[in-house]
Amino acid sequence: MPVAVAPNTTEHPPPPRRPAVLAAGRVCVDYPGVRALDCVSLGFGLGEIHAIVGENGAGKSTLMKVLSGFSRPTSGGLILDDRPVSFARPADALRAGIAMVHQELNLVPTLTIAENILLGREPRRGVLKLAVDGRRQRREAERLLALLGAELDVRREARHLSVAEAQFVEIARCLASEARILIFDEPTAVLGERETSRLLALLRRLRDEGRAILFISHHLDEVIDVADRASVLRDGVLVAEFARQRRGAHPIDQPHHAPRAPHSAPLIAVGDPRERPITEGTLAESMVGRPLGSIFPPRRPTCQRPGDASAPRVPRLVLRALRPADAPFADASSSNAGVELEIAAGEVVGMAGLIGSGRTELAESVVGIRRALGAVILEGQPRRFRTLREAMGAGVVYLSEDRKGRGLHLSLSSIANTTLPSLNSFSQLGGLRIDHRAERAVTRRWIDELAIRCARPSEPIATLSGGNQQKFALARWLHTRPSVLLLDEPTRGVDVGAKEEIYRLIAQLAAEGLACLVISSELPELIGLCDRVVVMREGRLVGELSREQLDWHDAEVRLVRLASGLSAAAESA
Amino acid sequence: MTVDSSNRPRSPAPTHPPRQTRFSFAGVLERWGVLAAFVLIFTVSAAKQGGDFLNVENFRNLLNQNAPVGILAIGMTLVIVSGGIDLSVGSMLVLAAAVGTTTMNALIGAGWSELPAVALGAAAAIATGVAAGSLTGGLIVLGRINPFIATLGGLAAFRSIALAMAQAGEIRSQSATIFRMLGTGGVPLPGLVNNAGKPLTLSWSTVIMLSIAVVAQWFLSRSRYGRHLVAIGANETAARYTGVAIGWVRFRAYVIMGGLAAVAGLVQSSRMNSVSTSQLGIGSELDAIAAVVIGGTSLRGGFGRVWGTVVGVLILGMITNFLTISGVSPYWQGAVKGAVIVLAVLVQRSSADR
Repeated sequence: MPVAVAPNTTEHPPPPRRPAVLAAGRVCVDYPGVRALDCVSLGFGLGEIHAIVGENGAGKSTLMKVLSGFSRPTSGGLILDDRPVSFARPADALRAGIAMVHQELNLVPTLTIAENILLGREPRRGVLKLAVDGRRQRREAERLLALLGAELDVRREARHLSVAEAQFVEIARCLASEARILIFDEPTAVLGERETSRLLALLRRLRDEGRAILFISHHLDEVIDVADRASVLRDGVLVAEFARQRRGAHPIDQPHHAPRAPHSAPLIAVGDPRERPITEGTLAESMVGRPLGSIFPPRRPTCQRPGDASAPRVPRLVLRALRPADAPFADASSSNAGVELEIAAGEVVGMAGLIGSGRTELAESVVGIRRALGAVILEGQPRRFRTLREAMGAGVVYLSEDRKGRGLHLSLSSIANTTLPSLNSFSQLGGLRIDHRAERAVTRRWIDELAIRCARPSEPIATLSGGNQQKFALARWLHTRPSVLLLDEPTRGVDVGAKEEIYRLIAQLAAEGLACLVISSELPELIGLCDRVVVMREGRLVGELSREQLDWHDAEVRLVRLASGLSAAAESA
Repeated sequence: MTVDSSNRPRSPAPTHPPRQTRFSFAGVLERWGVLAAFVLIFTVSAAKQGGDFLNVENFRNLLNQNAPVGILAIGMTLVIVSGGIDLSVGSMLVLAAAVGTTTMNALIGAGWSELPAVALGAAAAIATGVAAGSLTGGLIVLGRINPFIATLGGLAAFRSIALAMAQAGEIRSQSATIFRMLGTGGVPLPGLVNNAGKPLTLSWSTVIMLSIAVVAQWFLSRSRYGRHLVAIGANETAARYTGVAIGWVRFRAYVIMGGLAAVAGLVQSSRMNSVSTSQLGIGSELDAIAAVVIGGTSLRGGFGRVWGTVVGVLILGMITNFLTISGVSPYWQGAVKGAVIVLAVLVQRSSADR
């Protein structure tokens, strides 16, 4: 039964706002063994970007699923336009004007962009309205994409799209359904810097057109930048709310379509009499529920860094003219000689670059997932890994950026996931028997070591939150006792608390003598964590920033310029 | 964790320990539904057949009749867990049996004594099955042909070879005693007598099927190979990125399937002491797949259980018996079977989705 929203006026009188178009009233959701949402009441207004933040497993996605009809609350209910509603399925929510842009993109790869955008609502022609009116379909799709400021050939098939482009198509599809309320589940998680700023501009535009935008993100800078209102969930409970205070304005009187400058006022905590603007730090603290220090581990003193050791040492891993045999840029320029890179034991080398700059492909060609040209030299020995197994055997492992698709077996238990790469060490009688007890013990040990929240390791790993899954994804490789770690987006889709722990782990592993390559699209992460950062563009390394340069204030700008090819010559000089 | 400072009502208080897995009807149904269905159908059909309630002989006969399909279905479980399918099992069965009996007959004709001739014939049959499985497995792994297509080809081709070998006729075994005994003999069950008062025996075919089931269940749930099969079926890309030798693991699943199809062929042909190349194993791929599905193995791969498959085989067999005894026309039996298969999947899926 839907229950009326209990107004929160007792302790925090919320700032005046336009009436909520969609509201969750005392929504609780129970999953077997956990209460995912605990009595959450929230309103969402038209013409407002409302960010939902929280750690992994805090209940953000559950809330979004309830709002968009993918799951039903155990108790409590939804109110839309002052009327209680209940959605049995996503189609009901869609009909009511609520559309969700999913984290996993759901385009049909073999259909064109136009067909995807108007899937299920194709314009018809003919007497019987049986034939699809292709021209109108294309025109309509073009109109919707133009609204988003995206220029795409609508006749292209969806499988050729980049992730960012696919996301724009997905949003256009939601607009085609005339949705008033758009829910974005971590839309920027898979985007690079440039695509992200385009998307955020789009969110503002959609807001200014009078839509309600719900927005989940782990990137707190984005939240502070773009959100009009932010709600923090922790352990399924709404723990804090922030709103942009517009002094002097009377928001209720404002027309819904009034455009607004993005930085008109700072976000402040609802009910905070001192109206202190919120920072990433305070937002993160309210998510985690404790004060956070710097999320990056303290750097080791320089003298301990192997690069500075007086005795000349053989670097742990050397790449010479390495490039994937099927390199997408191979024909783009004949000057592409591949990648030259040395990583010493105990060193954390960062790798920046735009999406599609070839970083993942390079890492995959090091460990034998892709066929490679050029040379991989490990501890002074030239090696050619034809399969991943050979690389693993030599102690070189690769953590994929795609945790769900390539990293973990979501339907298998946490135990099976942890031991799969090192299953040989659990095998007895030549593989006839796996030592289940040892498996369990090892998994327990990693759970303790990495502070993984996992009550029942024999349950499918899909039941864990993203941060805990990622820790298992790391643990499974660490258990193979590698000497070289290639980490591709090691903190993608991971909350602040888990990020901090992963950074500490990487620093600790390096201190123990591992050579680490960290591929990341988050520049602050590279700058905070790495001993030096190389930048990749179109399959080549186009520059490098030393630790000293990374400490300069313009490090981020320089990395962006290198990655995007702006004044690359000046930088490398 | 520090206590959060907000003063929002929390209901119920978070001090409650997280609830442990509760008794859930859906969960129990998912896990043990097959067994419950089996007991139910067995009870009903045993009652219908008269005689003692839950008659041991009924059960013995049921196992005996369904041993060949059971052996196929066990192999099929491994293939399906790996995310594949094998439509060629019935044709591999008849081809292996045809090669086996032909070899046996040739050796006996050449003056060999019966025992070594039968042994070599059986070895030839199994070698044929393994070769056929290697062929389809090779096409799937090396040729990157969809398993459905590759084994559909096998379904047509292997049967055709067997037909050509015997001009679509029958190959009668020349082994008068030993090969026959495989189909008719068995281990006496101490203390049990049949309805006629003779000692009850567990047939060799049943013994073979159950042994294979035990070994296969062990392999699937306890061995490294089983874990790799499950990993590939659950997410092939992730398995590749974890260093599982995907091709080799999948290839072996089809080879094992071929070998088991040959064993099933020997068991089945030993009953009649002959191989009818146009009849033997026709449609058995569908029975095997149906049994696997009824047994709760996911057709998408990544999850499976051999014991469920064996129960599935017995359920299918019982339904056939039950319908025959009840006087239902054989023409209608397929409809009932089909309904049972769909029902089994529906029950198991709905409980898994909840």
